[in-house]
Amino acid sequence: MTHAFVSQVSTPFIPRSTTTTESNKTGSWRFLQPRYDEKTAPCSAACPAGEDIARVEMLVAQGLFKEAWETILQENPFPGVCGRVCFHPCESVCNRGAFDEPIAIHTLERFVADTAMRYGLQPQRMALPPKSERCAVVGAGPSGLAAAYFLARLGYGCDVFEARSEPGGLLRWGIPPYRLPVPVLQWELEHLQALGVNIRCNHKITGGFLHGLKDRYAAVFLGCGHYKSPALGIAGEDLSGVEEGLPFLERVRSGDLPSLSGTVAVIGGGNTAVDVSRCALRLGAKVLMVYRRRRQDMPAFGHEIQMAVDEGVELMELWAPLSIEAHPDGFRLSLQKMEVVSEEGGRARVKPVPGETTAIVVQKIFKALGNTAEEPWLEPPGEIAPHILHLADTVVSRREDGLVVVYGGDLAARSKSVAHAIGSGKEAAMALDLYFRRGWDAIVEETARCRVGPGPSLSMEIYTGGDRCRRNPHVVAFEEINTDYFLYGPRIIQPRLLVEERLQGFSEIDLKVSAALAIREAERCFNCGVCNQCDNCRLYCPDVAVCRDTSPQGRHINLDYCKGCGVCVVECPRNAMSLVENETGGRP
Amino acid sequence: MKKVVEGSHAVSEAVRLCRVQVISAYPITPQTHIVELLSEFCSDGSLNAKFLRVESEHSAMAALIGAASAGVRTFTATSSQGLALMHELLHWASGARLPIVMAEVNRALAPGWNIWTDQTDSLAQRDTGWIQLYCEDAQEALDTTIQAFRLAETVFLPVMVVLDAFFLSHTYEPVDIPDQADVDRFLPPFKPAFSLDTAHPAAFNQLSPPNVYMEMRRDLQDAMEAAPEVLEHIEGQFQSLFGRRYGALEAVQCDDAEIILVTSGTITSTCRLLVEKLRAQGEKVGLLKMRLFRPFPYEMLKRRVLRARKLAVVDRNFSFGACGIFAQEIRAALCNEPKRPLVFGYVAGLGGRDVTTDILEEIYWTTKTTAHPESESVWVGLQQPAPAA
Amino acid sequence: MIEVRFHGRGGQGTVVASILMAKAFFQAGYFVQSFPLFGVERRGAPVEAYLRLDTRKILIRTNVYTPDHVVVLDPTLLAAVDVTRGLKRGGWILVNASAMPEEPATFASFRLAVVDATRIALKHALGTRTHPIVNTAMTGAFARVLGEPPLEAVVHAIREEIPIKPQANIAAAQEAYEAVVFLRPSVAGGTPSLALADDSSAAS
Repeated sequence: MTHAFVSQVSTPFIPRSTTTTESNKTGSWRFLQPRYDEKTAPCSAACPAGEDIARVEMLVAQGLFKEAWETILQENPFPGVCGRVCFHPCESVCNRGAFDEPIAIHTLERFVADTAMRYGLQPQRMALPPKSERCAVVGAGPSGLAAAYFLARLGYGCDVFEARSEPGGLLRWGIPPYRLPVPVLQWELEHLQALGVNIRCNHKITGGFLHGLKDRYAAVFLGCGHYKSPALGIAGEDLSGVEEGLPFLERVRSGDLPSLSGTVAVIGGGNTAVDVSRCALRLGAKVLMVYRRRRQDMPAFGHEIQMAVDEGVELMELWAPLSIEAHPDGFRLSLQKMEVVSEEGGRARVKPVPGETTAIVVQKIFKALGNTAEEPWLEPPGEIAPHILHLADTVVSRREDGLVVVYGGDLAARSKSVAHAIGSGKEAAMALDLYFRRGWDAIVEETARCRVGPGPSLSMEIYTGGDRCRRNPHVVAFEEINTDYFLYGPRIIQPRLLVEERLQGFSEIDLKVSAALAIREAERCFNCGVCNQCDNCRLYCPDVAVCRDTSPQGRHINLDYCKGCGVCVVECPRNAMSLVENETGGRP
Repeated sequence: MKKVVEGSHAVSEAVRLCRVQVISAYPITPQTHIVELLSEFCSDGSLNAKFLRVESEHSAMAALIGAASAGVRTFTATSSQGLALMHELLHWASGARLPIVMAEVNRALAPGWNIWTDQTDSLAQRDTGWIQLYCEDAQEALDTTIQAFRLAETVFLPVMVVLDAFFLSHTYEPVDIPDQADVDRFLPPFKPAFSLDTAHPAAFNQLSPPNVYMEMRRDLQDAMEAAPEVLEHIEGQFQSLFGRRYGALEAVQCDDAEIILVTSGTITSTCRLLVEKLRAQGEKVGLLKMRLFRPFPYEMLKRRVLRARKLAVVDRNFSFGACGIFAQEIRAALCNEPKRPLVFGYVAGLGGRDVTTDILEEIYWTTKTTAHPESESVWVGLQQPAPAA
Repeated sequence: MIEVRFHGRGGQGTVVASILMAKAFFQAGYFVQSFPLFGVERRGAPVEAYLRLDTRKILIRTNVYTPDHVVVLDPTLLAAVDVTRGLKRGGWILVNASAMPEEPATFASFRLAVVDATRIALKHALGTRTHPIVNTAMTGAFARVLGEPPLEAVVHAIREEIPIKPQANIAAAQEAYEAVVFLRPSVAGGTPSLALADDSSAAS
């Protein structure tokens, strides 16, 4: 048998290049160029504490709970607290909301913190070398503790002065245990103290305190909060038995649980008023919340109001208190009917309806009108002057003797919330470090560089030169997500105690979620702008020009072959790449 | 080892023995039993192959083109509409010179919806550059599948192993299943002449302008023309290992035959009985079995039939507007011969209608008693009047 | 060559019965061919399967038109289907029945046997009361009726072909082998036995 045919057919003539295609530098065709360009997720820009939420959810989805926890700790020392009490503005801007439902960021933050607590995890120490300057912090509430935390991480020694017997401020005394159990706060405080933060309780600060500070401290952070309730300005408000809201909450927190009966009126529409109402309900009262505007105008968080209503709190909208008189059954509360005149920014302006009044007989009255600073000297200076900086959530004032006073927390923040207080403490720490290291004039410009997206939230990770520095401040819009890569999926439902169970005591209402559910929820996250190593860019590159490497990005683009077609950018599900004009000016 | 197995399963057994590496298929009656058993082999570990489930026959072939381009041994099976859906990619597989082997179970094309045997589906793909081998029984289906891999990987052309629906695919009969060691000896691991390799990137199947395209086609045709000789060589080795040989064609008592019946597929088997019977009656009749249809074995055919007076070609297929396809090809093969037999074309058994010995006998006597073909094709067994659908 | 036709309903294992017999006869040294009625099978509809056996290679690949014997797996088919269609005179009709109270007139020229395969199948927990699986019992009975293949060959075939409850199926075949009732063991002019050697030279 001859084998002539073998030579005839052994090398088929097919359309195939005989030389390597590597000789064809298709990169020479390029006039546009893709690059890895991580961007800012709307959730993180909306977070007053500037948490890197898109990355946290990515880590949760990968089951990397410790890393997720540490990522939060970069920006916020209190994930366990915030996972419970934060009003989560992140969720209302979540891009997933335009697709099906927002990611349950709040629930996941709590899951991450609880997981760390369950296993007693210790975070990687992130403190920088010690610095010589020492700082005083007045008030161990969320802003003061945050300021101390970030200062400590930046290397500064800190003394925190707290008037009350235990640290925590509003977290400990103002938020009822059904929203925030004390052990959670305690655990996170322990981490803070492990960083070297020194908290001195039962140490009330007076106006004279600031004068003698210069010898011992280079700066002081004032974060004493708003504890003073303004007067109603009506007759009878000082009658015995007409109580302030915050002290009542403090009593409840300390375990002094008065037994209430009959009807209790709570005057006000803020979070304190809601918490007072719900506590009174648990202590046996029927509760009327009296508010001069409408429900939607209440400063309290909507979901808290809803839970109060679910539990049985009755809202009296558009009624303003006129007077309080003693009554054999308690008090007679006279009320003036109000009506809406106009709306400003969605909030009603109201005026009395002439002649329309009413009176109710109640057994107890709580005033919860919102608070102000306890002492006038705690109010930040309002004037514009070269030695005064009005930052987003702090006011920084340089005294003539060189001592820098930072007003933070409720005293100066845009909004009164735990998250804003934390952001305020962070801003203070950053401003002080800049002042000590770079001088007064660097503060505004350098803090601006560390804003998340358009700001005003700040990132300590950006400030300290972490990977987050590479993020483009552009906030990813829903239209920039390639939704072809995502399936519709229901949002996790936060498990809760039933209303009947809630009213039996002060047990925490929100229950734990399983890791499986948490991962499933985190997998729903688009990870807007954040590369989660899905590798689409590499898989889709028609020129095999995306190459894996050991850089933080994990891959780079081989410009010899990238012809700038942009497939990688289009197929990036989460807008973590951008197409830009050739950096090499046309011909590589 | 001899076992009673279904015709479809004989093909599956062959594929397992050939250590195929990638199988991709979409189910369609009457082919389904082949890949069903293969998927069982893949799941029970007796065949270490990747079984790709796909959403269509087009995708099945596309997947195999990808896999074969990467240099592995590949197999699929289909029928009828599934094969028609693959049409575009059949050209691609041959043009890219990929040695894919496909079992094609002949089934009539719809409408009317019909799952029964009919060769028009595979014969309609005659111009796609695939080698086509038609099988007579389960043993031949098994043996041809094993040979097909060797043939495909020698000439770098895809091979279609064609078998009749039901009469072969669903019929149980004794089959000698070879030992793995012998098959390994006959069919070494596939060594591609070229393959996708990211370490040595090359462009495949890129633009081929007029200055090269024609040479590529000629190269494909050269491979086709070499295939009969290669098959003969391969069959020699096959015979020495397994004791069986089929040939591109098989001539039964043709040397002195005045009339030769030309058949393919399972009709051949039944026709052998008729030839026995007619010979016993003194008729000078022979039988030519067409096994290799592409490449068409022109010279072999001429050697076998030129001495006969008449050929009676039985086509279980039809080219509309023309005639039975085997008859058409045979006429074309003989037309330049100065002395050649008359070619009588008969169409029988379309859509699975049974081709009985009675029908074959009718074809023989019609051929014998008719001086000259009255038309390109005579349809045998038509009911008069036509039945209601 | 001998041709056998099996009548049953879709889902009763009729095709498997013919395959079992093919394997049993192959075990006993015969050439065999088995195939179903080519079509679209539906559960409960009358179905047919075929068996050819011979002492030489079976070349014919057409449908079976004139069987030598028929096996009826479901007695209710007798009212729906003419099971004697094309049946050669003197061929066996084996019916799954406890008795044959009203024998169809068309049965007169055929040998007739019954076996209560349903009872046997249920006794061995094969299938359910509404859907007893009688095919293995019928193969045992059929081997008895034809005198071939040996019961051991049927047992061998069941072991090879039936993965579920092989022991119960074998027991059913063995019991049915013994339980056949020969209602008409012979008819005038009928073929007395398998007689394969006699017609093996004839071409169909």
